[in-house]
Amino acid sequence: MSQKVQTVEEKPSLVPPVLTGLLSLVVPGLGHMLARQFRKGLVLLLVFLSAAGLWIWRVSDAARREVGFTAMFKKAIQLQPILLIILVVLVLLYLLIAYDAYKVAAKAKASSFLLWVFVVASFFILGWQIGEIRPAVLVRDGKNSLPLLMRVLWPWEKALYYPEELLIGSADVVIPCTENVEVPPRVVEEGDPYVTVTPNCGDLSEIAGAEGTKLRMVGSNFAPNDETEIWWVDQVRNEFRYRYGGEYVKIVTDENGSFEMDVIIPYRVIPTTGGKGYAVWQVEARQVASVGEPVLSEELKLSVEKMIETIFLGMMSTVFGVILSIPVSFIASRNLMSANWFTKTIYMVVRTILNIIRSIESLVWAVIAIIAVGLGPFAGILALTVHSIAALGKLYSEAIESIDHGPVEAIQATGANWLQTVWYAVIPQIVPPFVSFTIYRWDINVRMSTVIGMVGGGGIGYLLIQWIRLLDYRSAGIAIWFIAITVAILDYVSSEIRNRFV
Amino acid sequence: MLEIRNLTKIYDDGTVALRNVSFTVPDREFLVVIGLSGSGKSTLLRCINRLIDPTEGQILWDGVDITALKGDDLRRMRRQIGMVFQQFNLVKRSTVMTNVMAGRLGYSPTWRSITNQFDEADRKRAQTALKRMGITDQANKRADELSGGQQQRVGIARTLMQEPKLILADEPVASLDPVLAHSILQHLESLNREDGITIICSLHYLDLVQRYSTSVIGLRDGQVVYQGTKKQILRMTDAEFKSIYGEEAERMGGISGDIAADDEDSAGEEVTG
Repeated sequence: MSQKVQTVEEKPSLVPPVLTGLLSLVVPGLGHMLARQFRKGLVLLLVFLSAAGLWIWRVSDAARREVGFTAMFKKAIQLQPILLIILVVLVLLYLLIAYDAYKVAAKAKASSFLLWVFVVASFFILGWQIGEIRPAVLVRDGKNSLPLLMRVLWPWEKALYYPEELLIGSADVVIPCTENVEVPPRVVEEGDPYVTVTPNCGDLSEIAGAEGTKLRMVGSNFAPNDETEIWWVDQVRNEFRYRYGGEYVKIVTDENGSFEMDVIIPYRVIPTTGGKGYAVWQVEARQVASVGEPVLSEELKLSVEKMIETIFLGMMSTVFGVILSIPVSFIASRNLMSANWFTKTIYMVVRTILNIIRSIESLVWAVIAIIAVGLGPFAGILALTVHSIAALGKLYSEAIESIDHGPVEAIQATGANWLQTVWYAVIPQIVPPFVSFTIYRWDINVRMSTVIGMVGGGGIGYLLIQWIRLLDYRSAGIAIWFIAITVAILDYVSSEIRNRFV
Repeated sequence: MLEIRNLTKIYDDGTVALRNVSFTVPDREFLVVIGLSGSGKSTLLRCINRLIDPTEGQILWDGVDITALKGDDLRRMRRQIGMVFQQFNLVKRSTVMTNVMAGRLGYSPTWRSITNQFDEADRKRAQTALKRMGITDQANKRADELSGGQQQRVGIARTLMQEPKLILADEPVASLDPVLAHSILQHLESLNREDGITIICSLHYLDLVQRYSTSVIGLRDGQVVYQGTKKQILRMTDAEFKSIYGEEAERMGGISGDIAADDEDSAGEEVTG
């Protein structure tokens, strides 16, 4: 063998060194091929052709509106100078290939290190361009993401909710002032907020400009030193906020919770009179006052609930996956299935199916499961179970395949029966890898179940994607925090269990 | 008495491991089987306790044909034949005690053994076996925490639990250093001499063979090419040696009786116990 290699190396190039170089300028790599380095030449040819092809594609992509290559090239260089750098590197590579061919033909043991550096460099720069990598943009605009990032990183303002109570005091206003109006007097409980207006009747403002009747509005028993809004309620129970001069009117109560102000009956397009010749409106003072201790927010509660759902989603799919994959793993183990052609066929078929299932992502399985059983955690469980069966089936069967046959033989030799042999020689050997793989899968399943909700498979991912779409980054931050905490705890627990068992 | 008659084993892939092997082992014998790797030593030993089913031939043990046994009868036969392995074949993750107790499985009801309920007599027996092998203080360690020599002693203790009449030892010292090799073989020798257990043991080093065996058979390509008593093995001629190990084999040293053989898978090393 070694002699053969030597004779190949000693054979001179088919053509003189200078000619190999020149030939390589015609077709990159051709020189190597003729200098008895066919494979290297072929690789270089393919490398050069693909790099040049990629460059042409990027040029035409950068200047797709131009017609003709020269125009395209000029425009592309103008827009993206990096394309020029790539061109330079490619030209250098082209020349280096020719030079290397010359060296190879002249002296069999020439180093091609620089050549390969250029090969790698040309693809790296191409990758830079195709990946549209622009560190300058990151440096310039990166800080724009900071407010958002801060909300995600520290979302706990939204973890608490301060319960609020709406304090309303209202008074009736008759429009226009009419005799014999029957307005039932208001009954105000002791301590409840109330409002009075004088007079308690008047005319609407007119659209042209004439102001309506000015009323003196007095309120009491509100929360002290707090903003109060004024609202009108017309005769058909339409509510609208009182504006004056285009601005919403607000008043701050004094330290006793009282206020006094003038209000002007606003303009309203609805006919006031109806059949009775008058309408009864209400003017209200509304206060949003926070009462009592802060409580956990709805977002936090939802996150906790969905996180629990997520953990159980991962757990259930792992349990189902383990239960179903254990029998599968036995028929997917070569050492157990090599008895005859029939079992071998089963082994091959099962292995192939497992590989196909495993190569399809759980997210895709989730979409399929949703079609079958609708949105919700069950779809997620189905998806993760299917994927777990395939993954665990393969891992388990490999564990079974790799058991040491020695102890099995030794236990058999003591006169033990089949069950005793399995119990004493097989189980102790497969328990550690099974436990290890199961925990590993549980880990994966919980992590996957956090994202499987994004396609509708239940769990916290569903909330997360909703909140991100609603630009509610604080709530999304809460969800992300819970995911991170859960995954960290899970990581710790799984490594602890693994240490115990393995 | 163990009588092997015309034993032939042909594997599924067509390999002929044993070819018409016949010999007799009287009780209380320390029979050593020698031969190159692949000469059929392991297959022969495994045929005797039916870990491998022979293709043809008979194995008569006290008049009972082992090759014809099935099911419970086979297991009852196996529990009287201990086996010691080159790689010890302990269940590495189980404790020494569990490994030793496993030797009793052939005598224990399935359910009780699976729930680890061995009776008091068995536990006492295990203690005795551990004590005899000098590994009492290792009882609660995991088997893989032990050194090679200790593991092989656990392996012997396991066979002792079977109260065997015959022990098959498949190159029991091939993975051990020379000092340990002697120690293990001395244990086997004491079982042979004091307890009257018949031992069939495959070995590589001729000096060990000459030191411990009471009789020897040589296998080559699955055929018995040499049969001798202790006296004869001490006077093994070059021709006999080459008939076992092949024409290209060379004996280390020149004087018969104090010679180690060189073979393919172990560096021929002169050993003095």
